[in-house]
Amino acid sequence: MHSLTARRGFAAVTLSALLCACGNDSTAPSGSGPNTSAVCPGINLGPAPSRLTLPPGAPATMAILGNGLDTVRYQAEVAARGTIAYTTSWGVRRVQGNKVSIWDVSGNVPVLIDSLILNGATTTGDIAVSDDGRLLVVATERAPGSIFVYDLTNPRKPALLSVYSTGNTNPGVHTAEVGRVNGKLYAFLSIDPVGTIPARLVTVDLSAPASPAEVFTKVIGNPYVHDTFVRNGLLFLALWNDGVQIWDIGGCGTGASPESPKVLGTVKTLGGDVHNIWWYNDPNGSKRFAFVGQEGFGVVGSQSSGDIHVIDLSDLSAPKEVAFYSVPGAGTHNFSVDETNGVLYAAYYNGGVRAIDVRGDLGTCDASQRALDASSNLSRCDLRLMGRELATGISNLAKPVYVWGVQYLNGSVYASDMLNGIWKLGAVK
Amino acid sequence: MRIWILVTVAALAAARDSAPAQSVSVMAQAIPVVTRADPTATRAALSEGYVSQPAVMAHGEWNWLRAVATLNLEGLTLARGELSTGANGEGFVDRRHPHTYAHELLAGAQASVVGVVGSMFAGRGFAPFGSDDPMVRPFEKYPVNHHLSQVLERVVAIGALRRGPAIVEVGTFNGDEPVSPSSAPHFSRFGDSWAARGTVLPVSGLELSASAASVKSPEVAAGSGVDQRKASVVARFERVGMSDWRYAMAEWARTDERAAGRLTTRLGSWLGEAAACRAGVIAAARLERTDRPEEEAQTDPFRTPRPPIDLSNLGVSRWTTLTLSLSSPALLWRFLSGRPFVEVARIAAAPGDPPGLFDANRRYGARRMWMLSAGVRLRSGAMHARMGRYGVAAPDGGMTMPMPMPMPMGTDSVAGESHMMQMHQPTSSANPCIL
Repeated sequence: MHSLTARRGFAAVTLSALLCACGNDSTAPSGSGPNTSAVCPGINLGPAPSRLTLPPGAPATMAILGNGLDTVRYQAEVAARGTIAYTTSWGVRRVQGNKVSIWDVSGNVPVLIDSLILNGATTTGDIAVSDDGRLLVVATERAPGSIFVYDLTNPRKPALLSVYSTGNTNPGVHTAEVGRVNGKLYAFLSIDPVGTIPARLVTVDLSAPASPAEVFTKVIGNPYVHDTFVRNGLLFLALWNDGVQIWDIGGCGTGASPESPKVLGTVKTLGGDVHNIWWYNDPNGSKRFAFVGQEGFGVVGSQSSGDIHVIDLSDLSAPKEVAFYSVPGAGTHNFSVDETNGVLYAAYYNGGVRAIDVRGDLGTCDASQRALDASSNLSRCDLRLMGRELATGISNLAKPVYVWGVQYLNGSVYASDMLNGIWKLGAVK
Repeated sequence: MRIWILVTVAALAAARDSAPAQSVSVMAQAIPVVTRADPTATRAALSEGYVSQPAVMAHGEWNWLRAVATLNLEGLTLARGELSTGANGEGFVDRRHPHTYAHELLAGAQASVVGVVGSMFAGRGFAPFGSDDPMVRPFEKYPVNHHLSQVLERVVAIGALRRGPAIVEVGTFNGDEPVSPSSAPHFSRFGDSWAARGTVLPVSGLELSASAASVKSPEVAAGSGVDQRKASVVARFERVGMSDWRYAMAEWARTDERAAGRLTTRLGSWLGEAAACRAGVIAAARLERTDRPEEEAQTDPFRTPRPPIDLSNLGVSRWTTLTLSLSSPALLWRFLSGRPFVEVARIAAAPGDPPGLFDANRRYGARRMWMLSAGVRLRSGAMHARMGRYGVAAPDGGMTMPMPMPMPMGTDSVAGESHMMQMHQPTSSANPCIL
């Protein structure tokens, strides 16, 4: 379920400290100079982030700007760029989830302007826009599994370029993350298991989008690989009970590539069920933390479970979990980060949307802000106790919500709600 | 009703009267059946016909050694599953899944010491949990609770002890359920699950049992799926007269699905069924109310992903089904019997707890549905009477047969003079309920 890469490049990924809006919040780095490692000399993790002391306070409520209602299909993921948002669809409601809805989000209320029907798909779960805005990639489930690649010359009228489906995409492409590595565009496909056939990763070269080509595949995931996150030549894989694995696919400068990746490190987060990841690059240049979504048990439409886990990447060969965020009665799904302002937006299914302050050092906190997991003897900072819960969105409506995905874009947050379509919310100030 | 056919294979060199106890029984059955479901998962009426439950069963004894085998050929005749609104499991919904070819294949030993008889069986078969497999019960259609009340087609090791009217069974097995008729179990997972059942036989014909099981990740063969904690209480009665037969069974079953040790979904079932036979006519009725986990639908509305894509479900539905069955006296032809039957089921589907996204009207176009089936039970030979119990755990020895058994009495089913057939318990060939 889940696309995050689509928002990269336009989701306020402003890496320059000159644009940092948090200069008065003591988030300036405590050190300077390159911070690389022997295992990955090409990645500078930047300065250690400073510790913040945040005043306690009740979370605000994100303003609802508008809703584009869809009760014909269950909504799935969302990807937005410019004034257009695309939402996918899941399972079978009144009809099958074989559609991508195209919304004009220039106003407060998203307006459905067109749609794409993807023949043969039961679910069009994941969707991503390439960093240059030229391509739209949609993952389809179930068998045979595929990605549909569209040209976005006219983003209101995507034009189909190719349908990529092979034996290795069977029985379904759960997610298709799109990212550029050393100038070349790739899609990283997370393939569902079926029967006794295990899950796998398939890497596809999209440099000729009319004829995608597999360049790498590997059986991986226990039992699932549900999502990936690609950035700066590193690939983060969500391997469910095998945790998070970090691959060098060209970022470390040691000869690895998407065609020949190299494992850097692995961390098993508490509880497993690793579903999605976001590697946070803060405006000060620090790249120490990644956020991991845990998808626990849920009843679609009404219940969910699973926390956000924060892992410290200071040693890429041995990442470790240092913090978490939990919502009683709800579980997280996909993320989008306003990196300029240091706000993580998380879809929280029946819990709506949560906005969390992720500036500064997330792994250092007072004893009163820590929680010890007795079973693992792991002590972690609790982001809620650290006062980092900034706001909630569509969590107290008269009707139920079940938010699959979110995307921050230009001061707004778009939330795809399986039950109610797409919401446009005001971002946290 | 209680017929026990022992075909003594005296061709084993030794003189018959000096050879250790030995017996072999073989049975074959098939049920050509036509079913009309109105409506079903297609949101319309659907009629289908096929051969259901084609199986060959064999049971052998030699001294203290035992062997049980059931070859189930539904993979050839029911690859798409049998239309059965409300059914679910193993990637099928509103169709009963085909069973594995190697349905049962066990070897065991049985012995007695100071008033206690014990048995040990190992191989592929049923875990010691719940009630008898529906294949040996009076209805052609399986109840909705099949996956709540039986744990089958696992690699099991089962020990059982019996003293007087008390029976205790303990077994361990692999938690993963089959993913296709030809799929092999994950032998590496043997021992990750267990079941135990206690049974008392207070009076003749009455049997009370309680059982519990812990099943590790049944739906994700590789592991890491939701686990199950199961419980079952069963009361069973059967009495066979000289010309009639009566049977009744009531069961309560519950399956708790757990993720990371925490309860996620509770599925319950109540079921009562009864049957009576007089003058060869069998009338039977079954009423059950069973919870069903709802899963992501596929392009084929009768299939669900296996393994599921994640730990979630779409909620719980509650199925209340009344099934009535009527079978005529059997028709005999040489070693083959055919017993025509009709079954009608009235089905009500409602949201369970939690309801999730389930909406019967949306899914089926109706909340109340019908299912009508007609067919013929074709059989030759002796069926395993108590499918799901082995060795001393079978109160009557495991080779009797609760359902009318077609082997004509006094006929040697195995050619050759060295074969001898014996009939045990009511040896009434005049009982038209027995055949």
